[in-house]
Amino acid sequence: MPKCNNRFSLKALAAAVSATVALGVTTLPATTYADETCNSPFTPLIKGQEDVVYVWTLGVEGVGDGSDKLVTVDVRPGSKTYGKVINYLSVGGRGEAHHTGFTDDRRYLWAGALDSNKIFVFDIHTNPAKPTLVKTITDFAEKTGYVGPHTFYALPGRMMVQALSNTKDHGGVTGIAIYNNEGALISKHDMPTTKIGGVMGDGYGYDLGINPQKNVLLTSSFTGWNNYMMDLGKMVKDPDAMKHFGKTMAIWDLKTMEPKKIFDVPGAPLEIRWSLKKGDNWAVTATALTSKLYVIKQDKQGEWQSYDVGTIGNPADVPLPVDISMTANGKGLWVNTMMEGMTRFYDFSNPMKPKEVYSKKIGSQVNMVSQSFDGKRVYFTTSLLGNWDKKGKDDEQFLKMYNWNGKKLTLGFSIDFYKEKLGRAHHMKFQALDLSKLQPLAAGSQNLDSLKLALTEPKGK
Amino acid sequence: MSKLSAYIVGALRLPLRGGGFFSVLMTLVLTGASIANASDGDQSKEITEQAGVIMDFKPHPPGSYKLYAIKPAPDGKVLDINGKTRALSEFTGGKVTLLSFIYSSCADPAGCPYAYLVFHNLQSRLQALPALKGKVRLVSVSFDPEHDTPEVLKLYAGDNAHGNHDVQWDFLTTASLRDLVPILDAYGQDVYVGVDPVTLKPINAKSHVLKVFLIDPNHVIREIYTASYLGPDVVYNDILTLLMEEGIKLP
Repeated sequence: MPKCNNRFSLKALAAAVSATVALGVTTLPATTYADETCNSPFTPLIKGQEDVVYVWTLGVEGVGDGSDKLVTVDVRPGSKTYGKVINYLSVGGRGEAHHTGFTDDRRYLWAGALDSNKIFVFDIHTNPAKPTLVKTITDFAEKTGYVGPHTFYALPGRMMVQALSNTKDHGGVTGIAIYNNEGALISKHDMPTTKIGGVMGDGYGYDLGINPQKNVLLTSSFTGWNNYMMDLGKMVKDPDAMKHFGKTMAIWDLKTMEPKKIFDVPGAPLEIRWSLKKGDNWAVTATALTSKLYVIKQDKQGEWQSYDVGTIGNPADVPLPVDISMTANGKGLWVNTMMEGMTRFYDFSNPMKPKEVYSKKIGSQVNMVSQSFDGKRVYFTTSLLGNWDKKGKDDEQFLKMYNWNGKKLTLGFSIDFYKEKLGRAHHMKFQALDLSKLQPLAAGSQNLDSLKLALTEPKGK
Repeated sequence: MSKLSAYIVGALRLPLRGGGFFSVLMTLVLTGASIANASDGDQSKEITEQAGVIMDFKPHPPGSYKLYAIKPAPDGKVLDINGKTRALSEFTGGKVTLLSFIYSSCADPAGCPYAYLVFHNLQSRLQALPALKGKVRLVSVSFDPEHDTPEVLKLYAGDNAHGNHDVQWDFLTTASLRDLVPILDAYGQDVYVGVDPVTLKPINAKSHVLKVFLIDPNHVIREIYTASYLGPDVVYNDILTLLMEEGIKLP
C-alpha cells in the first residue's frame, strides 16, 4: 500500500469490501435497540413497546416481607398478565432503595440504597421477566468516602455513581464514583467546593447527565444523609436543616472530569434531562424548594449559561417538583409535584419560554415519571423517600400507566403497591423481552456447544 | 461537498442500498478518486459527521489529561489471517493497541464501516510520525467466525495482510463460537443475531453497539469508545497520551 500521507487510502477498504462481494454476502442495516428518554446516551434504547417495567421498591415494615425489592410488571398490551406484577426479588432488609441505572449494554441494572450504601447489580438479560441478583457492592462508602449512591449512569464499560453525602459528617458534600462494569472502583471525583466561573461550589450532588456531542457532564445538587433520612415534617421546622440544600449546578469536562463552570441555581436542582434532539445544546432541571424550571444552555459565544425559564405551580405553596421527563424530540416536558400529586406537561418547543399546556392529579402524592420513547405511554410512581412520603391515607403507593394522545392522559392500569404487599414504589426502568428473541451471545450459557443452535433458532421457537 | 465527503458517503451509506455499494466504491477506486487536501481535524470532523455522529468540541491536547485503568484486557484464543491459532494477548500488549470487534458484512453506518474509517485515518496519521514506528497496533476481531474465515479476513485486510506497515493492523477471527463468546463477554461487546420477523430464521445482520478499546502496553484497557464518542481526533490524542506515559517523545 502506498504511503497515505494523512490521506485516506481506498485500496485497503476496496480489498475488504471486494471480499464480501466475492462471497455474495448480503448487507442489512444492523438492528438497534431504543427506549425511554432519560437513560445514558451510551445505553441502547427501546423505541417501540416496552415489555416489562422494573420498579425499585422500598420495603416497609409490616408490608409483605418488609424488604427492598425489584418488582417486575408485565406491560405488554394483550398479555394475560398485562398490568400485573409477574415477579419480585427481595434483596433482604431495608436500606432506602432509591434509583437504578442500566449498564451500557443494558444487560445489568444497578440499583442503589441511600442508607445502607449498598449497590445491587441485577442480571436483566438472561431472563428479563425474572431478574436475578448477581452482585452486591457493600464497600461503596468505605472505598469512596461518599454516602448515598443515587444516580447510576452508564459510560462505555463503566458506571458513574453520583452520591448524595459523605462519611465524615453525613452532610451534602459528596462526589462521583466511577466503577467498571465488573464492579471494581476506577476513580472518584469530588464535587467542586471552590469558586469556578464566579460561583462558589457547594460540593453537593444529586443527578448527572452527559452530552457526548459537547463532551460535557452536568450535575445538580440536593442534600445530605442528615436531611434525606430525617422525617420531612421535622426537617422543614428545623431552620438549620433547611440551610443544607444544594444551590448549584456544575458543568464538567467529561474527558478530564474537571468542573468547568458552576451555576447559581438555588432551591435544590434535581433531575437533569438533556434534549435528545440531535444538535440541541441544552438541558433542563426543576428546583425542589423554589419550584422553578432552569435551562442550562450554550449562548451564542458557546459559553454555558443557566436560565430561569419559569415557575411550576405556585412556588409559595411549595408543590415540591420532583421528577421530570423530556420527550424524545425535546419539545415536551412532564413535571411531577410531590405535595400536589400532580403532573404537568409543558410545551418546550422554545426551551427559553416553556408553556404549561396540561395538568392532571395522579394521586395524593407522585414522584417519578417515565415515558416510552414515542411518548405514548407515561408511567408514574409515588415514593420520594421513606421518611418524606406522606402519612396515613395520603401515603398512596402505586404504579400507574397512562396513555397519552397529546391532549390528555387516560389510565391504562394501576397497581396498588400496598395492596400487593410490596412497599413504596420508586424508580422505574423499562426492559424488552426482545433480548430473548435476538439471542445474545452470552458466555453465561450453560452449554457453549449449544450456541450454534442458539444462533440459528430464536429462543423459544 | 468535498471529495473526501463524497468518498465517505459512498463508503458509509451505500451498503444500505444493497450491492451498489461495492460497484460504486470500486468505481471510485478504479477511477483514482483522490481525497481533498483536508487537514487532519477536518478529516476527523467529516468522518464523524458523515456517520451521523456529532462531536462539537475540540479534543484536549495529548498528555493534558489522565486515562484511568478500566480493567485488564481479556485474553482468548484467536486465529490470525493465516489460520494460525494465537493468544489474543499477543495482540494487546507491548504497544498501545486500538481494538474493535467487527464483522465484514456489517452495513450499519455507525458500526463497523465507521470503525474501519476511523482506524484507517488513524493508521495514516500515526504512520506519518516516524517516532511512533512499531509503537502502536490496530486490531480488528471478527465476531462472525462462520463467515469471516481467515481467508476472508486476509482479503479484508488488504495490504495490511503483508505486515509491512509502521502501524500494523491485525485482523483476527476465531475457530468457533466456543472461542469467540468468552472473549466478547469479557470485553463487554454485546452482539445479537437478527431474526426475520416473518420466517423467524436468522438473517445475516448482527445487532451490536460499536465499541472500540484503547489498551496500554501492559494489557490494561484505558478507554472505551462507542460511536457517539469515537472521533479520530479524540482517539489520536488518547493514543499519544498513552505513548507519552511510556516516555516516548513526540515531535
